[in-house]
Amino acid sequence: MKRLKSIAAYVFLVIAALISIYPFFWMVVSMTNRSVDVTGGRQLPGTYLMENLNNLFGQVDMVTALGNSTLVAVISTLLTMLLTSLAGYGFHVYRSRRKDIVFNVLLLSMMIPFAAIMIPLYRLFGRISQVAPWIGIDTLAAAFLPTLTTAFFIFFFRQNTGMFPEELIEASRLDGLSETGIFFRIYIPTMKTTYAAAAIIAFMNSWNNFLWPLIVLQSPAKKTVPLLISNLGSSYAPDYGMIMSAITIATLPTVFVFFLMQKHFVAGMTGSVKG
Amino acid sequence: MKKRLFIAILLLTMLLPACSGKKTETNADAGSAKGDGAGTGAGTTVTAWAWDPNFNIRALELAEEAYKGEIAVNLEIVENAQSDIVQRLNTALSSGTPKGLPNIVLIEDYRAQSFLKSYPDAFYPLTGHIDADDFANYKIEATSHDGEVYGLPFDTGVTGLYVRVDYLEAAGLTVGDMTNVTWQEYIAIGKQVKEATGKQMLSLNPNDFNFVRMMVQSAGQWYFEEDGSTPNLEHNEALKEIFRVYKAMLDADIVKLNSDWSQFVAAFNSGDVATVPTGNWITPSVKAEASQAGQWRVVSLPRLQTEGGLNVSNLGGSSWYVLNQDGKEAAAAFLADTFGSNVDFYNTLLADVGAIGTYKPGIAGDAFDQSDDFFGGQKIYSDFTSWMADIPAVNYGIHTYAIDDILKVEMQKYLKGEDLDTVMASAQAQAEMQLR
Amino acid sequence: MENSLKKHRVGWFYIMIPVLAIALFYFYPMLDALLLSFRSGMGMNLEFVGLLNWKRLLSDPNFITALSNTLTYLVIQVPVMLVLAMLMSVLLNKESLKFRGLFRTAIFLPAVTSLVAYSVVFKYMFSPDGIINRFLMDLSLTDAPIFFLSDPFWSKVVIILAITWRWTGYNMIFYLSSLQNIDKSVYEAARVDGANAIQQFFKITMPMLKPIILFTTITSTIGTLQLFDEILNITDGGPGNATLSISKYIYDLSFKYTPDFGYAATVSYVIVIIVIILSAIQFKLAGEKE
Repeated sequence: MKRLKSIAAYVFLVIAALISIYPFFWMVVSMTNRSVDVTGGRQLPGTYLMENLNNLFGQVDMVTALGNSTLVAVISTLLTMLLTSLAGYGFHVYRSRRKDIVFNVLLLSMMIPFAAIMIPLYRLFGRISQVAPWIGIDTLAAAFLPTLTTAFFIFFFRQNTGMFPEELIEASRLDGLSETGIFFRIYIPTMKTTYAAAAIIAFMNSWNNFLWPLIVLQSPAKKTVPLLISNLGSSYAPDYGMIMSAITIATLPTVFVFFLMQKHFVAGMTGSVKG
Repeated sequence: MKKRLFIAILLLTMLLPACSGKKTETNADAGSAKGDGAGTGAGTTVTAWAWDPNFNIRALELAEEAYKGEIAVNLEIVENAQSDIVQRLNTALSSGTPKGLPNIVLIEDYRAQSFLKSYPDAFYPLTGHIDADDFANYKIEATSHDGEVYGLPFDTGVTGLYVRVDYLEAAGLTVGDMTNVTWQEYIAIGKQVKEATGKQMLSLNPNDFNFVRMMVQSAGQWYFEEDGSTPNLEHNEALKEIFRVYKAMLDADIVKLNSDWSQFVAAFNSGDVATVPTGNWITPSVKAEASQAGQWRVVSLPRLQTEGGLNVSNLGGSSWYVLNQDGKEAAAAFLADTFGSNVDFYNTLLADVGAIGTYKPGIAGDAFDQSDDFFGGQKIYSDFTSWMADIPAVNYGIHTYAIDDILKVEMQKYLKGEDLDTVMASAQAQAEMQLR
Repeated sequence: MENSLKKHRVGWFYIMIPVLAIALFYFYPMLDALLLSFRSGMGMNLEFVGLLNWKRLLSDPNFITALSNTLTYLVIQVPVMLVLAMLMSVLLNKESLKFRGLFRTAIFLPAVTSLVAYSVVFKYMFSPDGIINRFLMDLSLTDAPIFFLSDPFWSKVVIILAITWRWTGYNMIFYLSSLQNIDKSVYEAARVDGANAIQQFFKITMPMLKPIILFTTITSTIGTLQLFDEILNITDGGPGNATLSISKYIYDLSFKYTPDFGYAATVSYVIVIIVIILSAIQFKLAGEKE
């Protein structure tokens, strides 16, 4: 019976994994095929990889876009993690009636569709441009400022802090650690897996963000990767081999960050009692 | 409380330069990158937005080479997807923050009236810079507002029917049998071709109304009355006939359905369909499959059997607009000197990018008289320009895409068996209620 | 007392920056949008129309379709996805499982793709001569290819499959990271007491994960209510308006049609209202007390 259950678990996971991976397989294969073969749904690798890559890097400024996206994603991920985990921690550990109200109000901000606040937000940045042009329209900072401290991450950290043992805080206080000390020296190291998960999501969100950067970034030197990909598909005779190459390359950094963070998951597990 | 606020503001101000500090580096990068391309002259910098590097962006580059005007101009071309341009223009213009907008922008003709009416002072009239009579009549109709011409026409969307000679021959037919036909005759031929070759006649996307728009203009009609805002659906005989034709084609089983552009292109590249009725801008995509060289011809579009039904139409096409901000004179002068009056330039445009302009003096040059071996030596461009002269001018109005979406739903109902008059009445009612 | 006051201050200090930033970048524009919802007109030419936009909503068949489509996605997709994610995370948390890292990576991978990229891939997979149709025909489950994206029913199914593919691994990661924060000795103790795996799951795992289950339920609900990129890229709302979502409709009203930002803002407030109601219900059900 136990054996049967375990086989069922493997079958389930194998199927899930195959379904998850197949589109990636097709993406990578298409990177090596001509446009005509991509649209024809060819499933086998071809010989056009170099041609597609040459077209991509020759025709569009992929390097600049990769640089911009990396810069934005790294800075915003770091700041997001610091600011929102502090807030999530603050909301839970120093819980008070008034803070709960503030928190519930913050949650409301998650609920409005971005399409609805886009125009007012753009107008706001128009005004910011006049007093502080270095964070105004057409700056990389403007691309990530609105999504830097989202209620989503505050909510995420607050919920996870619920699993952080209160006794640890009390003990540290008795040890004479300052409140800030507790956060940086006790909380952060303990909550490694939570940070790892948040980092993956934050990086991904920033890396794939499209609608807002599209509007606020205008000059070609500020283009991020999703904006560049959006351009590729817009001609009357799109080169799908080249587009698939761009899509594949655009996916690599997020995969890389996942592998980087995944180590913490493993570490978190091996540190525990054997099952 | 004050102290807390102070600390917060302090922290915020500390944070912001930290972000911008990093940013300055990229600014410097950007500056040097720009320096390579644009550092040549002391002229006015004119920014232009367009979307296809092989087509309209290439055209701008050629225009820059051809430009010989008095005002020195540094043209800076920015590539943006068409939908992205629409979105950026709308956001910036509606928020009253035009910072970062270009001087010249390419806008699809179907959307032109919407922009001109929504943002009345945002565009700079070109009336004094070009002679409207030099351009195809239907183009000027699409780009004018309140008696002023705002758009400088770029390309025509003159349509044709691309046909596979080999498939026709297999069914015992000739290209002549497909010339100047009605859609009913087209469907009959489609059945013959299918019987002989097993190939479908054409590929259609039920969620893309290009096909409907193309047919409705061929009858000199549109979704609106002549004012461009009163919906004309319920009693639009041309539109009803289109619905009937559409259904008849599906019933005859001669349609290969597709759900996006790439599948549409794949359908003829892979030889699955015998004809492609669409705008001339599809030519490069047809020629992309070199193995089919010599098998294709272009004949006139089938016509609707309604009053005023013609064998010509237009599908798509776009025009250049100048934004009403600093640099508008230079931008207008640049356009007027190139797209607005340079006859040789139109030859280069066709020879180099395959774009057919609508500037009448410009479309008579040598390049238009070339025969093309891919099309069995046919002089396709002189055919296209001769059809272009007959395209009926219609007012595209301001709600073309909104009506498209209303009609798509009604089309589905009609195909499922609802009565044609009922669905058209329903479309009319919705349009009247939603679009004011 | 002195100490508690100090702690109180530290707490406010920790939350200050995000609170100010969210007020500036979300609430201020939201207020702007609310004012906008009482105005209507083309582009810049907006005029005050009172409650006309709200009246228009009720008689707008497109809006009603978009609303019912969105709720359909919500009711079917969110529970399926969260149960799948939970199941996978529990399986993947077992230390006896072989190739755990491989499975975890594979199942999470969909979540790293950009929305545009995966939408394109799904469109091809479900095209008339795509891999799915070939597969179905090879298995003789169907004679002729199914026109998934041209059929009102199947196109909805494709959208649901696509978002499930994209977001299951994403939610699984939240569960997995929380599962690993649970002290393993709790399970040890339960096992000693003779609790089987299923009892352990309902008695230990579920209660421990409650905060994070609430979190994923609410964020998934919001995500589905704001469903946009997939619709735009896979079906463009079609065929007809069979897959149109509220967010896609807002986008159409703002950018595809002649812009009426006033009416678009009104439609977007409907999402806000629905989300507030649903979140309140979810908080209640989860029994989180103030």
